Amino acid sequence: MGQSMSDARAMPATASETPLAGGARRSLASYALILPGVVWMLLFLVLPMLMMVYVSFWTQTTFKIEPILTTKSWVMFFSSPTYVGALWTTLRIWLIVLAATIVVGYPTALFVGLFVRSKTLSTALLVLCVIPFWTSFLIRVLAWRPMLGEQGAINILLRAAHIIHQPIDALLFTELSVIIGMTQIYCVFMVGPIAFMLGRIDPNLIEAARDLGAGFGRIFTRIILPLSMPGVVVGAIFVSVMVLGEFATSAALSGRKVNLLGNIIVTQVGSLKWAFAAVVGVVLTVVMGIVVSLFLRIVDLRREL
Amino acid sequence: MQGRVLKPVLAVYTGLFILFLYAPFIVLGILSFQIGPEGGPQFPIIAWSTYWYRHIFGLTPPSRIAPLPIGESLIRSLTLAFMTTIVATVLGVLSAQAFRARFRGAGAAFYLIVLGMMVPGVLVGLGMALVANTFGVDRHWWSTAFVLHVVYTFPFAFLVMLAIFNRFDASVEEAAWSLGVPPARTFRTVTFPLIFPGVLSAMLFAFTLSYDEFSRTLFASGRELTLPLAIYGTFSVEIHPNIFAFGVLTTLFSLALLAVYAILMSASVRRARRVAIQEET
Repeated sequence: MGQSMSDARAMPATASETPLAGGARRSLASYALILPGVVWMLLFLVLPMLMMVYVSFWTQTTFKIEPILTTKSWVMFFSSPTYVGALWTTLRIWLIVLAATIVVGYPTALFVGLFVRSKTLSTALLVLCVIPFWTSFLIRVLAWRPMLGEQGAINILLRAAHIIHQPIDALLFTELSVIIGMTQIYCVFMVGPIAFMLGRIDPNLIEAARDLGAGFGRIFTRIILPLSMPGVVVGAIFVSVMVLGEFATSAALSGRKVNLLGNIIVTQVGSLKWAFAAVVGVVLTVVMGIVVSLFLRIVDLRREL
Repeated sequence: MQGRVLKPVLAVYTGLFILFLYAPFIVLGILSFQIGPEGGPQFPIIAWSTYWYRHIFGLTPPSRIAPLPIGESLIRSLTLAFMTTIVATVLGVLSAQAFRARFRGAGAAFYLIVLGMMVPGVLVGLGMALVANTFGVDRHWWSTAFVLHVVYTFPFAFLVMLAIFNRFDASVEEAAWSLGVPPARTFRTVTFPLIFPGVLSAMLFAFTLSYDEFSRTLFASGRELTLPLAIYGTFSVEIHPNIFAFGVLTTLFSLALLAVYAILMSASVRRARRVAIQEET
């Protein structure tokens, strides 16, 4: 402290310029500070997305694309049962995984956010949930293969417990394995926000309801659930955006049986069909935009958070 | 709240939930000790061995199973993560600092930045590849993939710093200003030491996200692969337990990184506390 004071005295000339002055100067400084970040995002996020929309109308020949505008790729997407099918598969898997993450994650969030009184314990539990994220995403996905396979851990355990006698072979390389894998990878994104919202509920509120004779079911549906909705919505937005943009889990766990829009993009880029890949990209962007805006309509986040 | 029944039930459920999160990793850890080279990536364990760990480091006699192509890709991934960490954290601190004053267009700028972490990697990756093709720019991990890594991690750094600045006591800065310390110097000697724990968290976020980032890199990098891309390459061919051994090693590395972060963090918190005590006396 003493050192900075002597430095301050050494520079009296700049004292007149100290920015205690006006708001105008401060907002000018803000613009200067925000500029690099905004320019970066415009150049490397907004421009690529616009480019994708533009290229989706280019003419695709076998080996290259030309900037002659056409809707041919768009017509091809919506007239092909394979691609429209991929759109439906994506939507179906998204809905199932979303529901699964809520069902699987909510009780844990309820325990961590509401039932655990000690702040340290609830933080420790959340940290415990996050630690698996420090394993590479792809290896976490691959690890489901020895779990689900015919000789996999689940089949071995179920047989050892005499629950089944024949191994279940429907567990791996099916839509189910993709759903299980995605649910496990993304459910933590549901637990976090819900636990956060539940942790903010005033215990007196629940106490009061109980004093007035409400059972737990009633307290849950009338108080806990509505107050945790913003958390569910935030979690749902996270999970939706990630699941809709997925392709690695389906590639690794479905044995190429499940083709999501993301998988189509990867294949099309692989065969240099850029215009068509762009069409699929735009479709995916539109789907995602609709989904997120629907969620934001359910709960006014800016008011709730 | 009928807590007597419900609480234990939920506690057991939470235990099972955590087991669900860890189960694949446990299985992966067990299978990484499968005997090699004949043992496959599935149960049962024929015999326990550290063959696949030695296989990664090329310490086993040559067999039909090619070693994982990780040497150079690991260096690339670490370099890329390091570059991304620096740029994303600097941008994050600058932008969050901007948001401490009110300015017009703040809402739009906020959403623009946060969009970077929301848009899926496939889409930005594809868009970036299209931009690069159109403008005749070559795609490399250190150019087109790097800028996308920053697009992805900068919002995280920004949000962390925003949270830090929200709890920040601006009067210390004002005191420095009123004593005539110029803003840049105030930032270096007063503001920065106070926000350092936040900067550290932002760097940790940026590093781990970039190190593991895969979908953006897939389209935006050229022929030279980063580590996740090299792992993705093994998806299409047969997998062997060496990938599991590698998963165990990378996880240990990440946890070591996390430990370093925890140590630096607690050291800086302790230092801050000591300074606070000195000021009081």
